Amino acid sequence: MLYRGAEADVIRGDWQGMDVVFKERKPLRYRLAVLDEAIRRQRTIREAEMIHHARDAGVATPYLLDVDVSGSTLVMQFVEGDRLKDIVDDLDERELNALFSDFGRDVAKLHGAGIMHGDLTTANVVRSGRKLVFLDFGLAFRTPRLEDHAVDLRLIKETLVGAHPSASTRALGAFNRGYASIAGPSRAKAVQKQLQSIERRGRYARVT
Amino acid sequence: MRRYILGVESTAHTFSVSVVSSDGKILSNAKSVYKPPEGSGIHPFEASQNHIASAPKVLAEAIEASGVPLKDLAAVSYSMGPGLGPCLRVGGVVARTLASSLGIPLVPVNHAVGHIELGCLLTRSKDPVVLLVSGGHTMILAYSAQRWRVLGESLDLTLGQLLDQFGRHHGLASPCGRAIEEAASRSRNYLRLPYAVKGNDVSFSGLLTASKQLLDRGSTFSDVSYSIQETAFAMVTEVTERALAFTGKKEVMIVGGVAANRRLSGMMTEMAARHSATVTGTPIEYSGDCGAQIAWTGWLTYSCGIEVPIEEGGVLQSWRLDRVDIQWRE
Repeated sequence: MLYRGAEADVIRGDWQGMDVVFKERKPLRYRLAVLDEAIRRQRTIREAEMIHHARDAGVATPYLLDVDVSGSTLVMQFVEGDRLKDIVDDLDERELNALFSDFGRDVAKLHGAGIMHGDLTTANVVRSGRKLVFLDFGLAFRTPRLEDHAVDLRLIKETLVGAHPSASTRALGAFNRGYASIAGPSRAKAVQKQLQSIERRGRYARVT
Repeated sequence: MRRYILGVESTAHTFSVSVVSSDGKILSNAKSVYKPPEGSGIHPFEASQNHIASAPKVLAEAIEASGVPLKDLAAVSYSMGPGLGPCLRVGGVVARTLASSLGIPLVPVNHAVGHIELGCLLTRSKDPVVLLVSGGHTMILAYSAQRWRVLGESLDLTLGQLLDQFGRHHGLASPCGRAIEEAASRSRNYLRLPYAVKGNDVSFSGLLTASKQLLDRGSTFSDVSYSIQETAFAMVTEVTERALAFTGKKEVMIVGGVAANRRLSGMMTEMAARHSATVTGTPIEYSGDCGAQIAWTGWLTYSCGIEVPIEEGGVLQSWRLDRVDIQWRE
């Protein structure tokens, strides 16, 4: 077992002679079975589709090798590398800038192709060699809407501020510059504006 | 030597006063709760009138029950925010008057931080992932570097608002959580409702609309109550599980008014077992708004030397808890 996530167990193993991971969405007993089955099925299919679309958009993902819908299991290439979560707090200024600027560029590529990732935390991006590899497309979907793209950026911000407070300001700055370099300044500005409007919608959102 | 502090809570429907000691004993926790008419929510002005009318009695009761003479109080703390302006101001007036007449420090407390710190005192949780669920908040938090950090939250309605607005649509008065839990326990008929998890966050607005429509189209209150609970609580449990997996912590603590719901705590317990984590919840008496959360957090705040001059002791209606400097934790 590599990792027990909130919704899936990720197990490393051998599949037809290849070094792979089995990502199995196990039944969650706290959810009603009828609801749970529908969610696991939908996310398994969604993840397989969206990995394909993300690769088309020029963003690195693991290779998808097999899909077992009834067992809610995906078989994917094992990606060697470090999750951003585990390295963010140890990077020097230059590395942090480069990494998050790349992160921003890749997210803008996804958005440009009309894909919202839906789960952009630092646990779901792996630095593998000189590339960033995006994982966990189970909450992704096709959408051109500004609102959905802004929700993606909001989660990145929430994760950085919540889990990596000391690096968050610089990381977000680099991310936004990378994002704007692909999305273009006017789209980048529009997404940021939408992000602020989402933040204001929450209860007790205005900070003093 | 034991020392004592008094705390005043008045953010929403509850006016409450409590005295606690420096070693964490709750010596009194008197309260008066405003009840809105059937089918409606809290009217801020009406609630503040209730608080004004009941303040002298609640204050006297809390002081008498504690057995602590006024001259032995070290400080007076109050809920500075977030909450409803007219209600908060009543607590502010009471606290300022008391502090200035006794000549002791006035200590500002963030109401939401109060829920968390009282929870930690009563459940003995050391380093939990916190689920704060009430009328005012739906947040998943963990402590790090002088702040309670938000790892997930509702993008629109809070869980308490969802349940209250649904209940009111059926003609109940806020708070409706208990009536909905009771109605839900009589059904096993799940009606499909929108499940909206967005990364670490949840959204309840579509769920509320769909639930009201089901009622309008003739589904029974208990079937829809059951379905709304199953859907909303599973969403909240999922994002709490995400925070638990992400942080690797081993404790979950549920605080706030909705913590009293047994189905929610049952789901949390099943979820946490998968991660070998424990689940604790504030006892019902202290899970809703109360003076003890303010008095205890007031003591922690005061012990770090934080106070506010009487003339600056106003209220902050939108004071977010992740902006509060937590100086009493490492």
